Amino acid sequence: MIWIAIFGSAVATFLVRSLPFAVTIRGRLPGGASRYLEALPVAIIAALVGPAVVAPASALTHGAEPLAAALVIATVAWRRSLLAGVIVGVVAVALLRMI
Amino acid sequence: MPLATDGDAARLAMGEGWPVLGTTLVVGTTFGVVAKQAGLEPIEIASMSLLIFAGASQFAMVQLLAQAAPVPVVIASVLFINLRHLLMATSLRPHFRRLPIAGRLLAAFFLTDESFAMATGDFRRGGRSLAYYVTFAVSLYVLWNVATLGGIVLGGAIGDPRRFGIDFAITATFIGIVVLAIRRPADIVIALGAALVAGGLALAGASTIAVITAGALAPLIAVFARR
Repeated sequence: MIWIAIFGSAVATFLVRSLPFAVTIRGRLPGGASRYLEALPVAIIAALVGPAVVAPASALTHGAEPLAAALVIATVAWRRSLLAGVIVGVVAVALLRMI
Repeated sequence: MPLATDGDAARLAMGEGWPVLGTTLVVGTTFGVVAKQAGLEPIEIASMSLLIFAGASQFAMVQLLAQAAPVPVVIASVLFINLRHLLMATSLRPHFRRLPIAGRLLAAFFLTDESFAMATGDFRRGGRSLAYYVTFAVSLYVLWNVATLGGIVLGGAIGDPRRFGIDFAITATFIGIVVLAIRRPADIVIALGAALVAGGLALAGASTIAVITAGALAPLIAVFARR
């Protein structure tokens, strides 16, 4: 039974990953659709961030994550560097969680 | 800043991606430990990481299998948790147009939140080489599987990855990618809207649909926004 669950889940994950890669759309998309697709990547990445900041470990944050997130935003906006943002974020969240 | 060669793109992917890859190593080890403690066989745990290769889904599976959930429930849960990859693949697809179908399907197999976010960051600043995505995505796959095996061996000897803030490295990377991708004021509204809706849904207990719902709704702002 467990092997059916594993293989079934493998098929399910591959389907959602590959479906858009498998179908090809010819011609130009209408303006609204292309504006939607253009905005999609940033929206999804931001949507991944939201729960990790607001509800880490599936419970309301004590404040460490939102504060660290604000510091990451400020650092990256200022230095234009991903790595600087990550270092500031990890150190900040580690310190803030101790309080 | 268009990149000169595939080699440059591959080196850049590792240079920027190592904090995310390092975190994956920690999370993958944790997965191996948790799955082992839940009573799964090593071959089953290793197969999950080799074939399914999706962090959140695999943790959910372990929990469901430990509760003896029916197989259709397990598969449906995994499908639902990963629906967001439909959106990610849709957004990445134009960059992979040149590849033959087999190459596109292979690229799809390695698609994760992390590889999507890193590649999007690279494409947004003008990166053209697919070597960036391939290098990062395949490295993540290898590390995830090595870490899973390590976790199986370690058993219960590892602590909480939330210590030292390591778990926040991926979140911080994603935040940075969003900040660097902002071009117009509307982008800020979309990003904040998506983050808040997803966070709210997760708090309300709807974490399986949080990302797909918020990610699909927020871009509508761009459709209706006046430029």
